[in-house]
Amino acid sequence: MIINFKINGKETLINLTKNKRLIDLLRDDLKLTGTKEGCSIGECGACTVIVNGKAVNSCLVLAQQVDECDVITVEGLAEGNKLSELQQNFLKYGAIQCGFCTPGMLMSAYALFLENPTPSREEIETAIEGNLCRCTGYKPIIQAITSTVSGE
Amino acid sequence: MKNYDWIQHVRGESLFVDDITPPEGTLHAAVFSSPIAHGKIINLDLEIAKKLNDVIEIFTAKDIPGENQIGAIIPDEQLLADGILDFCGQPIAIVVAKDNFSAHQAVKQIKLEFQEYSAVTDAREAFQKGQLIIPPQTFSLGDADSAWKDCDLIVEGTAESGGQEHIYLETQGSFAFPVEGGGIKIISSTQAPTTVQRAAARILNLPMNKVEVDVLRLGGGFGGKEDQATAWACMTALAAFKLKRPVKIILNRQEDIRMTGKRHPYSSDFKIGLTKEGKILAYEVTFYQNAGAAADLATAILDRTLFHCTNSYFIPNVKATAYCCKTNLPPNTAFRGFGGPQGMFVIESAIYKAAEKLGVDPMVIQEKNLLSEDDEFPYGQKTKYCMARPSWKKAIGKYNLGEMKNQVEKFNLENKIFKKGLALMPICFGISFTNTMLNQANALVHVYTDGSIGISTGAIEMGQGVNMKLRQVAATIFSVDISRVKIETTNTSRAANTSATAASSGADLNGKAVQIACNNILERLIKSAQQELKSNETDQIEVKDEIVYLNGNQTELTWNILVQKSYAKRTSLSSQAHYATPGIHFDKSKVKGEPFAYHVYGTAIIQVTVDCLRGTYEIDFVKVVHDFGKSMNPIIDRSQAEGAIMQGIGWMTIEEVIYTKYGKLLTDSMSTYKVPDVYFTPKEIEVDFLDNPNPSAAIFNSKAIGEPPLMYGIGIYFSLCNAIKAFRSNAEIKNSAPMTNEKLLLMLYEPAGQNLKRKLKNKMTVK
Repeated sequence: MIINFKINGKETLINLTKNKRLIDLLRDDLKLTGTKEGCSIGECGACTVIVNGKAVNSCLVLAQQVDECDVITVEGLAEGNKLSELQQNFLKYGAIQCGFCTPGMLMSAYALFLENPTPSREEIETAIEGNLCRCTGYKPIIQAITSTVSGE
Repeated sequence: MKNYDWIQHVRGESLFVDDITPPEGTLHAAVFSSPIAHGKIINLDLEIAKKLNDVIEIFTAKDIPGENQIGAIIPDEQLLADGILDFCGQPIAIVVAKDNFSAHQAVKQIKLEFQEYSAVTDAREAFQKGQLIIPPQTFSLGDADSAWKDCDLIVEGTAESGGQEHIYLETQGSFAFPVEGGGIKIISSTQAPTTVQRAAARILNLPMNKVEVDVLRLGGGFGGKEDQATAWACMTALAAFKLKRPVKIILNRQEDIRMTGKRHPYSSDFKIGLTKEGKILAYEVTFYQNAGAAADLATAILDRTLFHCTNSYFIPNVKATAYCCKTNLPPNTAFRGFGGPQGMFVIESAIYKAAEKLGVDPMVIQEKNLLSEDDEFPYGQKTKYCMARPSWKKAIGKYNLGEMKNQVEKFNLENKIFKKGLALMPICFGISFTNTMLNQANALVHVYTDGSIGISTGAIEMGQGVNMKLRQVAATIFSVDISRVKIETTNTSRAANTSATAASSGADLNGKAVQIACNNILERLIKSAQQELKSNETDQIEVKDEIVYLNGNQTELTWNILVQKSYAKRTSLSSQAHYATPGIHFDKSKVKGEPFAYHVYGTAIIQVTVDCLRGTYEIDFVKVVHDFGKSMNPIIDRSQAEGAIMQGIGWMTIEEVIYTKYGKLLTDSMSTYKVPDVYFTPKEIEVDFLDNPNPSAAIFNSKAIGEPPLMYGIGIYFSLCNAIKAFRSNAEIKNSAPMTNEKLLLMLYEPAGQNLKRKLKNKMTVK
C-alpha cells in the first residue's frame, strides 16, 4: 500500500507492505537510523518518535498508521548545524553515555515540550518513565530537561 | 570538559552495528538453540526449514572448517552444539536467509529430537556432585584456624547473591563479509576485538592476519560483551566465509537475554570472629560460584572474588576458598565488578550479623576495621596511599552522619508504617587485570600534514568516555585544540593483540600507550623546530596552544607550519607505542604478589524509606565521597559513578533473574526483568570528589572509574535491613540479594500472619 506522510518536515510518499512496523520504515527504508530498537515490545523507549505531536514507541506502531501524519525523529531536532536547546543541554549536563537511549529520551522530552513548555519535575519524570537508560542513573537527563524549561 | 563524541549521539548520527547500511545482497542470520538445559541431540531435522522461501542455508557444527571451539580461557565451549546440550539457549544451528523475518520463520521449523537429562541449576548441588570447572582456589593470611580462640564473638552464616542481566540497550550483533584472499572482515559489537579475531580464526581455520575485526562503538557493554560477543561474530564469520556473501546477525532482546550469561550468582558460607570491642580477628569464607555450563571468564571472576573478599577492611587472619561450579545455566560472564561485588556482599553480611549479636550499629565495626596505610591484603599486597579512612571520615563529616541518624531515629519514632534505614558502604577495588599478562596496550598515532591527528588503540568506546579521555591525552601532550584529534575505530589491523576493554583499565592502559606515542612524535617535532629555528641544544623549545616557543618567546612557527616543515624534512609523523603496567606481579602457586597498580577507595551513605504495609521502598539519598584521583574529566567520571551506583542498587533490589528448576529462564524480556527506571532513582544523589592526585601508574594521576562505584550499591541492602529492624526489632535478617519487594515483605512479617495480626491489633488499641 502507498502512504503519504511528513517526516521531519518533508512530504514523503512510500509504498510498503501492510505488516511493516514504523521503526522498520524509518530505519530500513528511510535510513533514519537514529531511532534505535532496544526491546521490540515497548518497554525500553529507545525507538520513541513523535507522531502528530505525541511520543510513540515506533516498534509498536504499524507504518501504515502514519498515513497523513506528521512524524518527527531525532534527525529532525537540530536545524542544520545548530543543535536545539534540549540537545545542547544533554551535552552540557552529560546526560549521555553510550548514546543508545539518547534519541528516544530526546524525543520523549521534546514531545513533552510540544504539549507543555513549562513542565514540572513530576511531569518530566512521567514523560520519560518509559525510556530506560542503563548507563547514567537518570540524574543528568532530568537536569538537562529541567534546565531546558528554566532556560538556564 | 564536554564529551565531543556526544554531539553525534544527540543528532542521531552515531553508528552502531545495526545502523551501518548493509551492502546489496547482505543476508541475515538467526540462531536455533537448545530448548532444554541438559540432554543429548538424537536427531536434527532441517529439511522443512531449508525449503522455506528466502532461506539460503542452514549451518551446523559439521560445517565448521576449523575447530568448533570458542572458550577463551578454557576450551570447553562449542560454537554450535553437536552432541550434548548443556543449557537452554545453547546455539545449535544458524539459519541464513534473505531477510531477518524469513530467518526467524525458518528457525521455528527446525525439528530437534533429544533425550533429556536432569539439570543442575544450583551451585551447591553442582559442588556436591563434583562438577567443578577448576580445582578450588584458596587465599589466606595469618592463621585463621588458631585465631578463633582469641575471639570474644564468633558468628556464622550464609549469604546468597543473585545473577544480573546486563541489559546493554544495544543487543548483541555482528556483521561479517568476505574480503579478497580468502579472508573475512567482522564488524562486531565487542569489548574484545582480539578475542573475536582469535576465535573466528580458530573456527575458520585461518591465520589471525586473515581475520580483521573492527568496532565502532557499543551501546553499552558492562562486561556482557567482553567474552559473549564472540559467538555471534563467529557465526556471521562462518556464514559469510561459506556463502561468500555479507551476513548480519542482530539478536532481538529475548534471544539476547535467553542465550547469554549474566553476573554469576554466588552462595557463600562465612564465619567471622571479633573482640567484644568489634575488632575483626578472623574471617573464613567459602564461595560457591554458579559458573553456568562453561568456564567463559568464571575462573578469573572467581579470583577477583577472593581478591576482594575483605573489601575495605584489614583482617589479620583470613581463609577464603572458592569453588567454580558447573551448572546447566547459560555460561555466566563478566559484569561490572567482575566477582568483586559478590565477595564484598558476603563480608558486609558477616559484619551486619556480628553487629546484631554485639548489639552495635554495623558502622561501628566497619569503621574500626577500615584499612590503614601499609596494611596487608590476603594476597600479600600492602596498601599504599590508602584512602579508606580519609574517605570515610570525609563522608561522615561532610554529610553530617550524626544529624542523619537523629533524623532517622525521630522519623521512626513518629511513624508506624513507614520506616527509614541508613547504612554506610565503604569500598576498596584493585585496578589492573588480575591476570598480569593482560595489562598491556598499544597505540598508533598519526599526525597528518594538515595538522590533524588520528589515533588507533585497543580501547572500545561503550559509553564510558574512553575516546574522549584519549583525545584529551593527545591534545594535552601536543598542546593543540582537541577538535584536531580523532579516535579511529578499534581495529585489529591497527592495534593488534589487545586486551579487552575491561577491568576499568581502558583509559589507563590505552591512555598510557597514547601518551608514549605522542611523546615520540613530539620529540621529533621539537628536534625539527630546533633545526628550523637554528637554535642550540640547550635552548628550551615547546609547543603551547599550537604555537612554538623558543626560550619562552613566541616564534613564527605554528603547529601547522611545524608539521609541514617536519614532513618536508622527511620526519616520521607517526608512532606506534606499547605500554605495560610496571611493577605488578602475581605468583599463582603461592597466591601472593602485587597484582594491582593501585586501589580505588570511597564511602557511600545510603538511606531508604520502607512502606512496611506493602513492602515497597524509596531511596531517599545516596551520598558518596569517592576517590577519583585527579579526574581527567569530571563530567564523564561523575556520570560513570552515578550510573554504576544505580546498577549496583538494581542488582541488590529489583533485578531478579529467575530460572525454573529445569533451567528455563522466566525473566527473559524487559517486561519481566526490571532495571531501574526514572522513578526508582534516589531522590538525591551526591558524589563528592576526594581531592587526591594518584601517584601510581595511571594516566595523568587519575584513577579508573568504571567498576568501583557499583559496589556502593551493596549498602542499600543493609539500609533496607535496618528499616526492617526498625519496624520489627526481632526480624530475622536473611542475606539473600536481591531484596525484592516480596522478600522484604516476608522478612517484615515472618512468621506470616501472626505478627501482622498482633501489630494491627496494637495499632487499633493505640488509636
